Amino acid sequence: MPLPAAAVKELRRIVGRDSVIDAFNDLRIFERDASIVGALPDAVVLASDTSQVAQVMKVAARFDIPVVPRGAGTGLSGGAVTIRGGIALQLTRMRRIIEIDTVAHTALVEPGVVNQELSRVAAREGLFYAPDPSSQKACTIGGNAAENSGGPHCLYYGVTTNHVLGMEVVLADGSVHWVSGDSPERAGLDLCGVLVGSEGTLCAITKIKVRLLPIPPSVATLLVAFPNVEAASQAVSAVIARGIVPSALEMMDQMTVGAVEAHYQAGYPTEAGAVLLVEVDGIAESTRELITAIRDVLSENHGYAMREAKTQDERDLLWAGRKGAIGALGRIKPNYYLHDGVVPRSRLPQVLSAVSEIGEHYRLPVANVFHAGDGNLHPNILFDLRDRGIMDQVEAAGEEMLRAVVELGGALSGEHGIGLEKSAFMPWVFSEDDLGAMHQVKDTLDPKGILNPGKIFPDPTRSHVHLAGRTGLAVEAKWW
Amino acid sequence: MVVSEAATHPAIERPSSAEEVAGILREASASGAAVVPVGGGRAQGMGAADRCDVELHITRLDRVLEHSQADMVVSVEAGITLEDLQSELAKAGQFLPVDPFNSPGHTVGGLIATGWTGPLRLRYGSARDFLIGIRVALPSGRIASAGGRVVKNVSGYDLMKLHHGALGTLGVIVAASFKVFPKPMHDVTVELPAQPIESAWAAAAHALNLPLAPAALELFSDGRVLVRFLGSPDAVNRMAGELDWKPADGSVWPAHSRRAPERWARITVPPQRLRQVVEMLPDGAEWWASPGVGIAHWAFDGDGARVVPVRSAAEAAGGALVLLAAPLALIREIGPWGATPSTVDLMRKLKHAFDPDGVLNPGRFVY
Repeated sequence: MPLPAAAVKELRRIVGRDSVIDAFNDLRIFERDASIVGALPDAVVLASDTSQVAQVMKVAARFDIPVVPRGAGTGLSGGAVTIRGGIALQLTRMRRIIEIDTVAHTALVEPGVVNQELSRVAAREGLFYAPDPSSQKACTIGGNAAENSGGPHCLYYGVTTNHVLGMEVVLADGSVHWVSGDSPERAGLDLCGVLVGSEGTLCAITKIKVRLLPIPPSVATLLVAFPNVEAASQAVSAVIARGIVPSALEMMDQMTVGAVEAHYQAGYPTEAGAVLLVEVDGIAESTRELITAIRDVLSENHGYAMREAKTQDERDLLWAGRKGAIGALGRIKPNYYLHDGVVPRSRLPQVLSAVSEIGEHYRLPVANVFHAGDGNLHPNILFDLRDRGIMDQVEAAGEEMLRAVVELGGALSGEHGIGLEKSAFMPWVFSEDDLGAMHQVKDTLDPKGILNPGKIFPDPTRSHVHLAGRTGLAVEAKWW
Repeated sequence: MVVSEAATHPAIERPSSAEEVAGILREASASGAAVVPVGGGRAQGMGAADRCDVELHITRLDRVLEHSQADMVVSVEAGITLEDLQSELAKAGQFLPVDPFNSPGHTVGGLIATGWTGPLRLRYGSARDFLIGIRVALPSGRIASAGGRVVKNVSGYDLMKLHHGALGTLGVIVAASFKVFPKPMHDVTVELPAQPIESAWAAAAHALNLPLAPAALELFSDGRVLVRFLGSPDAVNRMAGELDWKPADGSVWPAHSRRAPERWARITVPPQRLRQVVEMLPDGAEWWASPGVGIAHWAFDGDGARVVPVRSAAEAAGGALVLLAAPLALIREIGPWGATPSTVDLMRKLKHAFDPDGVLNPGRFVY
């Protein structure tokens, strides 16, 4: 449904004529993010600064138009999909690194700054930005903050919310606020903490102040083969139980390793049932001691063919394989559906065997590549969209996998967000009262419900979307 | 209990279940009674409620609900003391890395509600950073949970953050889940004996810039500096060797965490501005600071006229000065919190949404 002409006219006055896109063919570029669902926005508005964002929000509020803030569109849960139409508020023109403070070790950035770009620029000062989603070559800091993104190195360093010191945000009424800042223990409610990870449903983020860390002087990266994923999972628990928290502890199964090796020739052992990529960093003494201890634990736990990166190039190649794994899987099937769930780490063997059974049941290849140290699994269902009726199978398999995660005491998402993809499943883990408290926050900050509607919370009206959700009975989520 | 002179004899409630807590809140909302939640009573001097009709003690909610050693996750009821939780975790060689001042006796609920920290904040952050699930009794009488028992979770809003540091003004925390940590392989403390304060600040800055950053670093007004290194033995020993200070016994830390002067204030500023604010403290003042974090605690004496200029300086530096304990008259005179946050209207709206009848800690927080 096109926006009211008066609204479009005002939007053009705010951002300029060419910065409002409403021609059908142009809108199609903004139909999707990296998830498997899509919906056309009625208009795309390209904002260049906070004041434009605020004015756009005011127009949207006046005309009751939904607004979906959007970064690079790399999200995997449909967070940037304009499922109720309205405005896709594109923030990638705001891509300045405003300041890198080398004394305080902080950076002030606009939301469109690309994650890896920030670390690249900070490296000139010997600093880096720790959260490193696998999409870091493309994803933006604004999107990371909205989704509370993770990444391989979050095992030790923590996720986005642990690194955001403060933000400038625009609320649904167009008001602009600074929440938190670089002073610790601030008096008052931690609004920043609630807004990080709110998936664009509470605010648009227009500036972010993040913590930077000194680049560790020494890094050790170890690639280890295992006979199967169960053995690798046990080894992961054994490392942590020994009191060692590596900076990254990543797992890939045989299917993934085969695809990665074919693509990158990084020296991954293709005959192994699973491999772990383990990294520790710090000063030379600690990386040496830790990697030695880790080697011992891993060999006690059926690890073999250990290979430590000898040069930075070798390390980069190993990581290129890990971070490019999803793309490499395109060698097996043209399409994928990447899932995201978290279980208590000790439940990894159980959940992986459930995932594998579900894949076999639906005759769908499933490749696993994930953050084993966090218990954060990413079963990746591979398929060919041209096969008739395949989507129903893929979705059903994905839902069963998620169900298995929840039944093992896990969570619906570790880092991709709930978005559109999993909103129907929220009642599996949260009671009506739990969701009511969350909705209380939504209703308080966005009473008209114009910011990213149809996300996070279950939506009974959402029948036209693929993942309408065959919601089963709530799992006994009695984790208290 | 710091409440107004008008409050005579508040009713004392000691519920033993989350449902009872919720019931008390529901009744209070119906009758308009003012409820002051109390854990270990360690931070009762922080802010002053206008009224107190019911003191709601949560200390009977003191069970460990589940300690999953292999997952390094623990769920507890909110009334358990930090010490009891630590002894449970110690059985598995684990710990919760928080060491708040005015210990012992903090409850987990109180710790979350106040957001208090201690020296270990430098390395581990605050409870905010490892609180992974929360269960809260709301003034409506409902009980709502958020988060879960996994270490990484983006399912729904992060309401753990909403209640952390909210001083029990939005709900009463009844249970919490934490990510816990392995006891470090090696734990070494070294001390720089009393120095002229100039050189103590310089020594602290030097230690903070070591390649293996200290897990805790405390600077004292008498010019002493205490540094704690945690990590693998060779690394820790090398850092301690580089400093070449006097070895100190690990018991200095629990002793330090027992500090709780009769009148004290917490100064929080961006770390690089801490020194300039602390240098404004009167000559002979007793204080201690975490320069790497940006926090100083000041055992002040005298009246508001001594505190107000320091508060102004802290606020001008982008921070705050909060009274942690003081005579009620002084709290009333200069206010416990200082300048109102610019987002106070949003905070008030959230407060009103969760506690429309204003029963929880009325007048005690920033709104």
